[in-house]
This record gives sequence, structure tokens and C-alpha cells, in this order.
Amino acid sequence: MPLEWITRTEQAPEQSGACFPAEELHLWPHRSLTAKGFAWFIGITATALSLPLIAVLGTAVLWGLLPFMLLVLSGVWYGIRRNQRDLSLHEVLVLAEDRIALTRHNPRRDNQHWEANPYWVELRLHPKQGPVENYLTLRGSDREVELGAFLSPEERLDLHADLQDRLNQLRRPD
Amino acid sequence: MADAAVHGHGHEDTRGFFTRWFMSTNHKDIGILYILVAGLAGFISVAFTVYMRMELMSPGVQFMCAEGARLIAAGAGDVCTPNGHLWNVLITGHGILMMFFVVIPALFGGFGNYFMPLHIGAPDMAFPRLNNLSFWLYVAGTSLAVASVLAPGGNGQTGSGVGWVLYPPLSTNEDGFSMDLAIFAVHVSGASSILGAINIITTFLNMRAPGMTLFKVPLFAWSIFVTAWLILLALPVLAGAITMLLTDRNFGTTFFDPSGGGDPILYQHILWFFGHPEVYIVILPAFGIISHVIGTFSRKPIFGYMPMVWAMIAIGGLGFVVWAHHMYTVGMSLTQQSYFMLATMVIAVPTGVKIFSWIATMWKGSLTFETPMLFAIGFLFLFTVGGVTGIVLSQAGVDRAYHDTYYVVAHFHYVMSLGAVFGIFAGIYFWIGKMSGRQYPEWAGKVHFWTFFIGANLTFFPQHFLGRQGMPRRYIDYPDAFALWNYVSSWGAFLSFASFLFFIGVVFYTITKGKRVEEENYWNEHADTLEWTLPNPPPEHTFEQLPTRDMWDKQASH
Repeated sequence: MPLEWITRTEQAPEQSGACFPAEELHLWPHRSLTAKGFAWFIGITATALSLPLIAVLGTAVLWGLLPFMLLVLSGVWYGIRRNQRDLSLHEVLVLAEDRIALTRHNPRRDNQHWEANPYWVELRLHPKQGPVENYLTLRGSDREVELGAFLSPEERLDLHADLQDRLNQLRRPD
Repeated sequence: MADAAVHGHGHEDTRGFFTRWFMSTNHKDIGILYILVAGLAGFISVAFTVYMRMELMSPGVQFMCAEGARLIAAGAGDVCTPNGHLWNVLITGHGILMMFFVVIPALFGGFGNYFMPLHIGAPDMAFPRLNNLSFWLYVAGTSLAVASVLAPGGNGQTGSGVGWVLYPPLSTNEDGFSMDLAIFAVHVSGASSILGAINIITTFLNMRAPGMTLFKVPLFAWSIFVTAWLILLALPVLAGAITMLLTDRNFGTTFFDPSGGGDPILYQHILWFFGHPEVYIVILPAFGIISHVIGTFSRKPIFGYMPMVWAMIAIGGLGFVVWAHHMYTVGMSLTQQSYFMLATMVIAVPTGVKIFSWIATMWKGSLTFETPMLFAIGFLFLFTVGGVTGIVLSQAGVDRAYHDTYYVVAHFHYVMSLGAVFGIFAGIYFWIGKMSGRQYPEWAGKVHFWTFFIGANLTFFPQHFLGRQGMPRRYIDYPDAFALWNYVSSWGAFLSFASFLFFIGVVFYTITKGKRVEEENYWNEHADTLEWTLPNPPPEHTFEQLPTRDMWDKQASH
């Protein structure tokens, strides 16, 4: 599942008398190419492209072929990188005792930010009414924002249960 | 922050006709456009061959007269001076159109665009607008290629008759700007293919459904990826070569002109360094289609998935190290010829792996012979025949006798015309219900298959005999000794053409009046890739919610 909880224990002492450390939830859309895979692909492509160039070393023809080879290599490099940038959208949810904050990192626009008090926040699941199935929203500070719209419906369902648990935990007076 | 859009509505298809088909950024629409334009270019290209087979039907020249091209054979009383230029223009046009503008756009551009993203569960291509650009560059290239046939060329006539390989000095000395148009046509089509390949590679690498690791990808998507990679590696070589040809023609450079220190043989090496991978670019997507068709109608999962994938990769890799077997006669050393001969024969290993895996898939399967399956079995048989003659031709010594004879023509038409084109037809009959929502009449598909199968074999099998008798390729006329098999071959071509016309009728009938298919998977449960989970035709947007593993990972249930 493309989401991960990170507990920031080092932040805990900063909370005045907090017994609940701040937690961070990272969510990102699914991507299938790894960094290693990219290196392999470009490596094999570059090697194969240089094969015919070796054959024409020392002739004028080399200069006729080289620009096209470089053009294609940089083209496919840019294409994959650009696609990864387009998919670099991710959301970070910070959950602490007195603060819930959501930041959405957009690929080619400014980051978007929302903050509220977790005690009053309402987590809502819209099975059918939203733009996607099991649309998940957070309501607080007079705004309703979406969470993990790029995940699969089942993932949002699990996330809803998980987050609701954590919010309940947070609100429990002890 | 993305504010919630609770009452957002779903996507509705509100595009008008012009927006949908002329400014399309949807991979399914662009795929259909590719197939249609490739069909049109194919019709032009096939029409050329019918005219050529009319001319070759009997010895002497009856149709391509210098006094004017005729549609009715010149009789005893008519004056007819052979017009070799027209003949050369037609073989060049047929070659360029078929190699660049028909088979690759149909298989790679058409089926690749439509079904590769569906197979990997991607919502669309990585760069939809780039996809649109690729398509229109292809249309521009096709128009340039056709324009080149009609533009002023060599011998004071229209068109250039230099062969699709554009060897210098013939191509650099051809008069008129027809030759330049042909070079531009190949340039533009190359740019289109490279952009398309970048798009497909990015989509394939980065947008596979969750859990779909490389070796879980369906074979068709794999074949398209390997093809895209071959295009990426081979086409810049061609682009460079023909650019140098262009500057040799127009700006006085001497890359391939011995008088200025150039080397025309080097052009042949570069051309075939591109040209041999090109023939695998032509055939690999057909391998992918055939795998799915055979698996579906044998009601078994494909035999040996991993060997099938590695065989495609191996064929792609080997394709780059065998090019000089096209030019055994240019004066290479014995060592060079031995190497290219051995390397070429090695290709029979991965190809054999594929052929035997297909046969093993059918083994003890529950076979039914719907039209796609007939075409797939036809492909298997014909491709094997072409492969066997390929082994014969790979022998440098034997090639001395066969070089530039009709034996070569028969060989490459068996692998490409009968191989790749049978793959295209298998794909069309397999998926036309999915693409149009209407199913073809089964009897019509069968009539098309049998007429085409018989016609194509009748056309090309006798050409083996002609080649063995020593009839050279690329001539408008021949001695009486070759008359019989040329006559048979021509009748085969007419039968094939008739079946092609019938096919166009079948497609037209299907998309306008065919029986609607409501069932999402209208074949059987062994057609188990993701497109079979979608309605017919699929909606404008598919897999906006990424598919889950249970939707595509069906192997365990078989």
C-alpha cells in the first residue's frame, strides 16, 4: 500500500506534557519503476546506442549519427523523469495531540496546506457520492479537504478505519 | 489544499466529433485512428502490387507502357514501350509504404496504443498529447510518401524508383524532388515512431498496476515494450543515415560519395543496422497478439511464459548483431561472413522457443477454430515456412545463388506479409467486438481467412520456384521460361486482393450493422487480460481507479 506512518519520537518532548508523540502519514500514488530500474534501462539503452557508433569511429558518418543518438537518449531520459515528476504528487498528514495538519505536495504547483485541531476534526468516508469510490475527507477549520484520492478504494477504506482509530485514541481522556 | 469535491460528478463523454477524432488525446481513439489510416495506406500499397502482378502475369510488357500506363492489356496492334521507371516507382512505393506506414502503425501504433495500457491497467498513455502528435506526424509522413510517388522525379517522370532501401549512389543521383519527399516521409515517420516509443516505454515502465512486476505483464504488452525499445535503438540510425543522404543530395557533402572520400557500402551497413531490427519491429507485436489468441482458443494459459518473454528479448537483442546477412555479396571478408552467418542462425533458437511454446499451448488444449484462431494457426504455419527459408538464405555460400532472386521475395513475404499481416487480422477479429461493441459474422471471417490463406500461398509459394530457377527481383519483364509460376502467382495475388476487399466489407458491416456484444468477455475465461473486464466498447476513461491484483492475476485458477 503506497502509504507509511512515521512516528517522530524526538518531537514528543516538545509537546508540553504530551504522552502522545507526533505521527506523520505519507501517502503517494502508485509507481512501478524503481530508481534502479531507471538506471538499468538508461544504461542498456546507452550501451546499445553506442554500438553502431563504434563501427563508424574515424569516419565523417559518426557526426551524422551522433546527434540523433544523443537526441533519442535525452528524449527517453526526459520522458521518464517528467512522468515521474508528474507522479511525484504526495500528501503528508501530521497528527499530534493538539494539531492535525495536511500538506499536499503538487508536481508543478505550490504546495497546499490545511491545519486544524484534531479534537474537532471530522473524518468522513463517502462510499458513492464522491468523485472516486470511498472518497475520504477531513473536515475542520471550516474547510473540508480530501485525503488520498489517488489510492485505491480498498486502501482508502483501510486508511479510514486506521485514522479513525488514531483520532479516537487521541481524543480519549486519560 | 485540494478541497473536497463531494458532489463532483463522474466523467461524461461530451466531446464532439471533431474534438474526439482530430484533437484526440485518448489512447483508445488514437489506436483506432492508427488502424484506420494504416488500413488506407495498406490499400494504396496493395493496389500497387496488384498492378505489378498484372504486369508480371505474362512475359513482355502489356500495362506499364511509356505511351501511358494502361488498365487493359496492350494487344498485338498496340504500341507499348516498357516503362521501367514506373515499375521502379511502384516497387519503391510499395516497400516504403509497407515498411513504415502500414504494418508498424497498425500493430505498434494501433493495437499497441489501444491495448498495451489496458493490459497493464494504466488509465492512459504517460503523455496523451505527445501521443496525438505521434499520430499526426504519421499521417503527415504517409501523405509525404504518397506525394513522393506523384512529384517530379527521375527519368523525366514522376516518382523515384530507387528501392525502399534508398541506396546511394542511385538515391543521390535521382533527379527531381520526389526523392527528397521520400526522405522527408521517412524522417517524419521516424520522428513519429520515436516519440511513440518514448511514450510507450514510459507508460510500460512507470504505470503498471500495483503488484504487476515486469514478469507478470501480459505477453502482448511485453511485445509492445520490446518493439518500442527496438524502435528507440534502431530508428536514430536510420534518421542519421537518411539525413546524410539528404545533405549529399542537396548540400554537396560526400558522406557516401567515393569521389569525396565517402563510402556507399557504409550506407548499406547503417541502413541494415536499422533494417534488420526493423523487421523484428514489424513482427514482434504480432507474436504478442498470437500468444493471446492461441491461449484463449486452446483454453489453456500460454505454455512457458518466461521463455516466451526472454525469447522476445533475445530476438530483439540478436536483431542488432546480424545486419550484414542482407549484404553477403558486397565483398566482406570470409571471417565477417562466417560471423554473420552463425549469428543469424542463432536467431532460430529463440524463434523456435516461441513456435514450440505455441504448439505446446495447443497440445491437449480444448481447441475451437473461430476466425482469430484460424489466423493464428495460419500465422504459425506461414511464419515457420518463412523461417525455414530464412535459414537457407542465412548461408553465405547459398546466398550467392539466391541473392536478389524471387526466393528472397518469397522468404520475406512469408515472414512479413503472411506473418505480420496474419497477426494484424488475428488481432482485428479477436478485438473488433471489444473496440466497436459489435461482433463480426463468423462465416464472413472464415471466408476471408480461407480466401486469403489460399490466395497468399498461391502468390508467394511459386516465387520460391522462380527464385530457384534464377529469376531476379525488381524487373518489369522476364524470359518465357518463368511464365508458368508468374501466371499462378498473379492469380494468387488477385484472389488475395479480392479477399482484402471482402475484409473491408466485413469490417464496414460489423461496425455499422454487426450483432451487439454485451458480454464483457465474449470469448471464454481464458481471455484473462484486463481489457476483458471492461464493457464493449470500453468507456472513454478506464482504470482511473487502478485495477487490483485479483482482476488480472488469474494464472493460479487455471
